[in-house]
Amino acid sequence: MKKRLNSYLTVGLIITGLMLLITVIGTFWTPYVPTAMKYGRFQPPSWAHLFGTDNFGRDIFSRVLKGTGTTLAIALSTVSIGAVIGTLIGAVTGYFGGIVDDVLMRLNDALTAFPSFLLALLVVSLVGPGKKYSVVIALGLVFIPSFARVMRTEFAALRNRNYVTGARLMGASSGRILFVHLLPNTVRVLLPAFTIGFNNAVLAEASMSFLGIGVTPPDASLGYMLSEAQSMLKAGPWYALCTGLTIVLLVFGVGLIGEGLQAQEREVD
Amino acid sequence: MLEVRDLHVKFNNRDREAVGGISFRIGAGEILGLVGESGSGKTVTAMSIAGLLPRKQCSYSGDILLDGQDLLHADRSLLRKLHGREIGVVFQEPMSAMNPLMRIGEQVGEVLRIHTDLSKAERKEKVLRAMTSVELHDPEHLYDCYPHELSGGMLQRVMIAAAIVIEPSLLLLDEPTTALDVTIQAQILELLKKLNSELGISMLFISHNLNVVRKLCARVAVMQRGLLVETGETDQVFYHPQHPYTRQLIDAIPTRERRVR
Amino acid sequence: MSTALQYTLKRLGLLLVTMLLVSFLTFLAFELVSGDPARTMLGTEATPQQLTALRHELGLDRPFLLRYLSWLAGFFSGNLGTSYSYRQPVWGLIAGKLELTLWLSLMSFVLIAVISIPLGIFSYRFTGGFANWPRTALNQLCMAVPPFFTGILFSWCFGIVLRVFTPGDFPGLREDFAASLRHLFFGAICLSIPRIAMTVRMLRSTVISEMNKAYVRTAISRGNDRRTVLTRHVLKNSMVSVVTFLGQTLAELVGAGIVVEQVLGIPGLGRFLVTSISHRDYPVVQTIVVILGFWVVLAGTAADLVNQAIDPRLRLSTAELGGAGS
Repeated sequence: MKKRLNSYLTVGLIITGLMLLITVIGTFWTPYVPTAMKYGRFQPPSWAHLFGTDNFGRDIFSRVLKGTGTTLAIALSTVSIGAVIGTLIGAVTGYFGGIVDDVLMRLNDALTAFPSFLLALLVVSLVGPGKKYSVVIALGLVFIPSFARVMRTEFAALRNRNYVTGARLMGASSGRILFVHLLPNTVRVLLPAFTIGFNNAVLAEASMSFLGIGVTPPDASLGYMLSEAQSMLKAGPWYALCTGLTIVLLVFGVGLIGEGLQAQEREVD
Repeated sequence: MLEVRDLHVKFNNRDREAVGGISFRIGAGEILGLVGESGSGKTVTAMSIAGLLPRKQCSYSGDILLDGQDLLHADRSLLRKLHGREIGVVFQEPMSAMNPLMRIGEQVGEVLRIHTDLSKAERKEKVLRAMTSVELHDPEHLYDCYPHELSGGMLQRVMIAAAIVIEPSLLLLDEPTTALDVTIQAQILELLKKLNSELGISMLFISHNLNVVRKLCARVAVMQRGLLVETGETDQVFYHPQHPYTRQLIDAIPTRERRVR
Repeated sequence: MSTALQYTLKRLGLLLVTMLLVSFLTFLAFELVSGDPARTMLGTEATPQQLTALRHELGLDRPFLLRYLSWLAGFFSGNLGTSYSYRQPVWGLIAGKLELTLWLSLMSFVLIAVISIPLGIFSYRFTGGFANWPRTALNQLCMAVPPFFTGILFSWCFGIVLRVFTPGDFPGLREDFAASLRHLFFGAICLSIPRIAMTVRMLRSTVISEMNKAYVRTAISRGNDRRTVLTRHVLKNSMVSVVTFLGQTLAELVGAGIVVEQVLGIPGLGRFLVTSISHRDYPVVQTIVVILGFWVVLAGTAADLVNQAIDPRLRLSTAELGGAGS
């Protein structure tokens, strides 16, 4: 397993690592109080205020630090919901097959055929817009099918390997086979899927908050901040620019990691 | 006609040479059988002759001369002129060797489209004639079919028709009957024999099955681990094998030919 | 070509069934969550008499299936019910918005199809050594830019600085067609950038995997050069997955367009959907969802029909599937 990291993976990890570091720092310390409105309205970026200030005189850099944290937290929890439940469904359907497999996979096909963003919007409208957890639930649900499909294929392929038959003959339980013998072998597809899912989650959350049906004020996410920034384009274009570029950088870094993981997989084949 | 001299091929990601210095020749109108187990280097030999080696991923040396012209070191544009025109190739699995989305007639006539200035009608006429000569029934109908509509045996006939439609001087047959049923296999062998005597095309017939080679080829070369261990008249090799490996191959043929693979 | 015709008819039949199913499921889902619309409309201080009267007026006192059927009949005759928040017929509210969203989606789709296919082929040939890094980086970067951010950049750059269009103020198709199209075109560009990147990447990897197939070796052995191997053999074989992907993209564009409509102030269907969701205007949401569902099903059907024209094998498999299903 020890291999030299390829360059996509290296650069991706550096970018993502920096973003994470900034976020972690941001949760404990920000240069200014993000909600304090006392630093002068519409100050352009300077050494004192790296990203400038907004219409209320809040320090945008401090707000972006906090916002990135919110965005990351939501994205991570939604992908995790999707990955965990999707993996469970994929493991059961792929390993056991049968009618459950048929029914669940048909349902899965129907769900994946429908645009995920619309689906998430619908779930939000059903759960109740504006609530903090509704975005997480909606996006989490929406991510289940794609994970389930990928993992089902993987588990179905691994099911008939010799070591699985061997473990079965030794009397290992299905649960043990699934999670001790098979799960570690699915990491090579789970990881790239996770990076792609994470990016989709960041973008989807940003879109929903941008539309005002995602996270609401006290915990402003990057998407919500962008929608604020839009109304101040004339007076303070740096607000939109800095916030937007943060999203781009976040997604770009994780995207490169995914690219690197896939490239490494190809080299192994 | 074709002469191979001291051919070496080594793939960059392997330690051992795939082909470790072999020499043989095929006379005009002759069929040479090349026998060996899988991994013995016979397909690599054929691909070197056909100019289909992935050149960037291997190193090679020696000479392959077709009517005095060097094939091994020929540049791309020369190879393209020889591909199909002078050398026809028939591959092992007809189903995957054919473009699934191109009609049969067009695939058979592709060599004509590339190498001649014939009109569409003239090409079609030649294609139909070639399809008839490989004993395909109702070529007019098959002309507009797609590969998935034909059986494996029919497809292999189509592949042969596509290789001989322009009458190349050399036909490379890489295990052309391995993927087929035994009865179809026998028919294809008969067909190849007929084409050889009618058109006088030289052939290199590659197989892992000495018994199949015996039915078709006057001369046979036995290959093991990248080297030729024995070459000679088929009957000679078959009844008086000199090399222990040849003997093993002969012993591997079931005594009752019912279950020839 | 009777198999092609048979396939087409079967596929269209399946389309109708799916559309019915979509409409039924949507109706059912909203029936379950929407609660009592009469109470929603009248508020908490309404008298029981008022509620009963309004329920009767809205037809809510009839059995579920009957309401579904009359709603369905209304759907196809243009009578889509009444909006709770606007107290106006739904169809009148959404017709003009639907038109804008269709324009936006189709413009982006054409951009995506026209740009990404040649670019994908170029990207395939642009391979190896130093070329890989800039190609991959550019690709990932384009996928990382959310359409609403591009929209904001455009409204700043072309709207505020260059004054090519006014971001918040959509002229209207009837009033000024050319200016409206220009406005929509900016939206279409925002929408298509990440999707072009995805399609290019997808086409490239499909071509690469096709290039390793046995028929390519056969094509080379007949004297094809690199270009004809690609144009005559590999491209057609790659198209099936590309068309499927483009079909999905077409389906997703309407949903993805919502944010772009919001940013550039295009009064389209998506934006209306969002406001209706926050107002819990269920008749409107329901109608829009059904329309979008139909759009998704139509896009899938269109992709399937194009694909069966490319690959005749697909006709067989679905014919068999249909036979097994019935």
